[in-house]
Amino acid sequence: MAEQNVVTPDLNFIKEIINAGGESLKKCFQCATCSVVCNVTPDSKPFPRKEMIHAQWGLKDRLVNNPDIWLCHQCSDCTAYCPRGAKPGEVLGAVRKLSLQHYSVPVFLAKAVGSSKALLLLLAIPTVIFLLITASIGTLSSIPRGEDGAIVYSKFIPVPYIDAIFITVATLAALSFVLGILKYWKGMSSGMSKVQGSLVNSILSTIIEILLHKRFKKCDLTKGRQTSHLLVFYGFVGLAITTTLAIWYLYGLKWESPYPLTDPLKIIGNLSALGLIIGITLVILNRFKNKEKAGLGSYFDWLFITVIYIIAATGILAEMTRLANIPLLAYPIYFVHLVFVFFLFAYAPFSKMAHMVYRTTAMVYAKQVGREIETDVKTV
Amino acid sequence: MDKKYGVYICKGCSIGESLDIEKLTKEAAKGAKIQAELIKKHPVLCSPEGVDFIKKDIEGEGVNTIVIAACSPRVKYDVFDFPNCIVERTNIRELVAWTQPPNTEDTQLLAEDYVKMGIVKAQKGDMPEPNIEETDKTILVIGGGISGMSAALESANAGYQVILLEKTPELGGWGAKLYKQSPGEYPYEKLEEPMVFSKIKEVQSHPNIKVFTSSEIEKTEGQPGLFDVTIKRNGGTETIRVGAMVLAAGWKPYDATKLEYLGYGQFQNVITNVQMEELASKGKIIRPSDGKEAKKVAFIQCAGSRDPNHLPYCSSFCCMTSLKQAVYVREKNQDSMAYMFYKDIRTPGQYELFYKNVQNDPGVLLTKGDVTGVSDAGDGNLYVEVENTLLGEKIRVEADLVVLATGVVPATAEPQKYLDGLAAAVSKGDDAKKAYIESTPKPEFILNLTYRQGPELPSLEGAYGFADSNFICFQYETRRTGVYAAGCIRQPMDMNSSAEDAAGAALKAIQCVEHIAKGIAVHPRAWDVTFPDVFLQRCTACKRCTEECPFGAIDEDEKGIPYYKTNRCRRCGTCMGACPERIVSFKDYHVDMIGSMIKSVYVPDEEDKLRIIALACENDAYPALDTGGFNRRSYDSSIRFIPVRCLGSTNLVWVADALSRGIDGVLLLGCKYGEDYQCHFVKGSELANYRFGKVQETLDRLQLESDRVQMIQVAISEYDKLPDMINEFVEKIKAVGPNPYKGF
Repeated sequence: MAEQNVVTPDLNFIKEIINAGGESLKKCFQCATCSVVCNVTPDSKPFPRKEMIHAQWGLKDRLVNNPDIWLCHQCSDCTAYCPRGAKPGEVLGAVRKLSLQHYSVPVFLAKAVGSSKALLLLLAIPTVIFLLITASIGTLSSIPRGEDGAIVYSKFIPVPYIDAIFITVATLAALSFVLGILKYWKGMSSGMSKVQGSLVNSILSTIIEILLHKRFKKCDLTKGRQTSHLLVFYGFVGLAITTTLAIWYLYGLKWESPYPLTDPLKIIGNLSALGLIIGITLVILNRFKNKEKAGLGSYFDWLFITVIYIIAATGILAEMTRLANIPLLAYPIYFVHLVFVFFLFAYAPFSKMAHMVYRTTAMVYAKQVGREIETDVKTV
Repeated sequence: MDKKYGVYICKGCSIGESLDIEKLTKEAAKGAKIQAELIKKHPVLCSPEGVDFIKKDIEGEGVNTIVIAACSPRVKYDVFDFPNCIVERTNIRELVAWTQPPNTEDTQLLAEDYVKMGIVKAQKGDMPEPNIEETDKTILVIGGGISGMSAALESANAGYQVILLEKTPELGGWGAKLYKQSPGEYPYEKLEEPMVFSKIKEVQSHPNIKVFTSSEIEKTEGQPGLFDVTIKRNGGTETIRVGAMVLAAGWKPYDATKLEYLGYGQFQNVITNVQMEELASKGKIIRPSDGKEAKKVAFIQCAGSRDPNHLPYCSSFCCMTSLKQAVYVREKNQDSMAYMFYKDIRTPGQYELFYKNVQNDPGVLLTKGDVTGVSDAGDGNLYVEVENTLLGEKIRVEADLVVLATGVVPATAEPQKYLDGLAAAVSKGDDAKKAYIESTPKPEFILNLTYRQGPELPSLEGAYGFADSNFICFQYETRRTGVYAAGCIRQPMDMNSSAEDAAGAALKAIQCVEHIAKGIAVHPRAWDVTFPDVFLQRCTACKRCTEECPFGAIDEDEKGIPYYKTNRCRRCGTCMGACPERIVSFKDYHVDMIGSMIKSVYVPDEEDKLRIIALACENDAYPALDTGGFNRRSYDSSIRFIPVRCLGSTNLVWVADALSRGIDGVLLLGCKYGEDYQCHFVKGSELANYRFGKVQETLDRLQLESDRVQMIQVAISEYDKLPDMINEFVEKIKAVGPNPYKGF
């Protein structure tokens, strides 16, 4: 009976998927409408039909090791057409959450980010850090002003403190990502066919695909996501460039902030912030528009959306209140901004932010094993 | 009765515009040899004036034999209802005015033939009088399960005396062995207490119901209204008289020891769904091998069902049963899991909601698949091996306990198998019969009828031992008049369906005792007061009637002379068709009557003017012709339709009558027969086909082409195809050429 695989269903894993936003999971009766309407699945062994039965049977290994769960871009066409309301899109979203919880290190942080109960504690960590810094350097009680009495945030928390904290946090997050990705690659390789072709080519073509957002074009129901996700994505890219420039200004040119609004750094930064806030607002609007057909999403989704929204909003408000010289608003807003940026960076490997790393890895892997689809747009 | 004739031709519904009514009157009078003044016309015969027109003749002239040439006899029968008169309807609307071109010679000749045939039929018929005997209206219900108890209660609540007979010491049947019952009402979530317990109380306290437990039937003699049933109980016997019976003897689970590949008998922890009910009733699901609680329970659906090597059919309720038992597993321990391997989940109708609810439980894991075997996984655990699963691969799943969803074997299966084997042995001679009886264990019979055709319900090929219940059209009917089948004896069904089924069978039993008391036939001729009159002096004891009667209505005395149990008779006339001596008659339907009608058809001498007689079953083919008429579906004008009670009543002499008169072809339109038969009398069309297979040999010998006689199976819905079938036959006759006896 060598060809028969022993399957060992895991009841707890089924319950975890249900609790992670896949509560419709058990409704599936395997008609495969989902795989038929999906525009982003490969033709052979298409998803999400097989993922649905694996999820119903609690076959954890087959799901967390599976690149297909990340090839899914949650267009929700499957959910819209499902005759039983099993919402495969939402189920795969939940499976993705569990997959990255499975791989990310340390596990307790992953569990905490995934649970609404730990939210206050997670927020308390950066809040306490920044309170301690400001209290210890004395800026909490009286904040020094810049020339002409202008608000200068670097006098509230000096840049070296910021950099020390965020460079540490980012390094730890990057380390966690690397460990997670290595485990994930190993996991994928254990179940799938042999890797073929050049890794460099696979990575390059994946990056080009991401930069062009080609896959989002294939979605039918949630067509609008291409624009909104593109805006958020390039908002983050722009902000990353802004940060790099800022480091160069400070340490290379020895020029301290604030910078004039006409400076290229400010222009890039402000445009990116604008892109981010518009993008994330569209994300929210799209979700509400499609909630009947696609589902509203889970706690995990909304935590991420909210964090981005708060970061973008507080970033813009901090700048506006600074320019308007309203210190009573400006400093608290800036403080909140810092707390949420910390939240985003520190918990990136465990939050939905991690999708950018895991999905990219899965796409590279899929190209490596020849599990790729034509990029032409199919229509239903 | 002294007949005084009145013939009425209606000119309505375009009949008047299609025909020369004066000529029609003249020719019909001449052909049927009656005075032309007796033939009257009316513009709209079914109007109040038209009916008064006839009534005036009845009252004034003493007319008592009425022929109405108008629309089909299948319509306006309530309008043309004249008590104490013979009323013949001859159809010149659907069969002439609506289907033939107006005012042609052929159409005129066709109408003339129909009017003549109508008059001849009235001349040959007699006023029927019912045969009324002193009868009993008690209803005997056989089987004390959910079906039997429901039938008993339905009959008793309708005011009838009921005797409920149960083989075992307790009422309740399988329903009493359940831990819980699947939900029967919205929202189909909660398991229910088995419904049998309240029924048992109701039955036991009902003043109209007498319960006989630990009882079996030793012998059933007689006929509906007058059944004498000898019952074995308490070590003795007693004979009771009843009017009708409901057969609800139920079922047995399929013998799981035949399912070796599923490990039954080999592994203690492989059990059936019946055993699972016992386990669940005792508390936690404790497995047999070591008394450990079973936390991973695998259900194997269609264990022996839908399998050509075991039971080829679906047993209907096993999916619901296993879903219910999966709920047992989950409710008794929240950490446990129930796996279910199915061919298809069949939860028809609202039961879909229960399926959805159970499926939604995270601990109930379902997959389609073919279970290929069960093997040892050590420590009493088992591997279930499954192919073609939805997981896309062959899998093995470890389980603590395996439950086989075994199916339904009706209580009639074993006796039928035995009797079929016996019949086959008898046909091989006395030695084979003796050997069979010695070597084959005799199963328990249920009815033990003293009928010439055998002690139990006849088996139907392809019905897998279920009571043949004419399931296509009339599900409770059996081929033993007065015995109505209910519940799993006639098809697999769950308890809710069985209770409903029992109500249907009880109504049929009530209809039976009431009709018999009034001397009226039961289904399907449930208005008919005629009965077979037999001129026994001429009987040659050929036994064709006793063998061919589809309902076993005719027994034989020691000399082989038949005697009719009239109350068993359904009045199909199969015996009349079978009898070579032509001695079976009904008052309004006999061999000479139809023969005379055929002979009254005018056969032109011209060779290109064909004449064809079509004998059409009045249950399916004739209604199809009417529907064709409503839809103005035209066909060849050379054909004359004569309705017959059943194609089984068709006597070969009619074919001889027709062909010897120069008629070019005879077409027989009967119902579908075989496994999915639609014949109201079960065997009529099949017998007709058999007999006409013989007549064709005879025709060949007489140098008459056998193609001249053909039988076609027609369903009532095939009105649109029927004209083509008819025209095709006419073309065939044209190709064969005119009847050489024409003009003799």
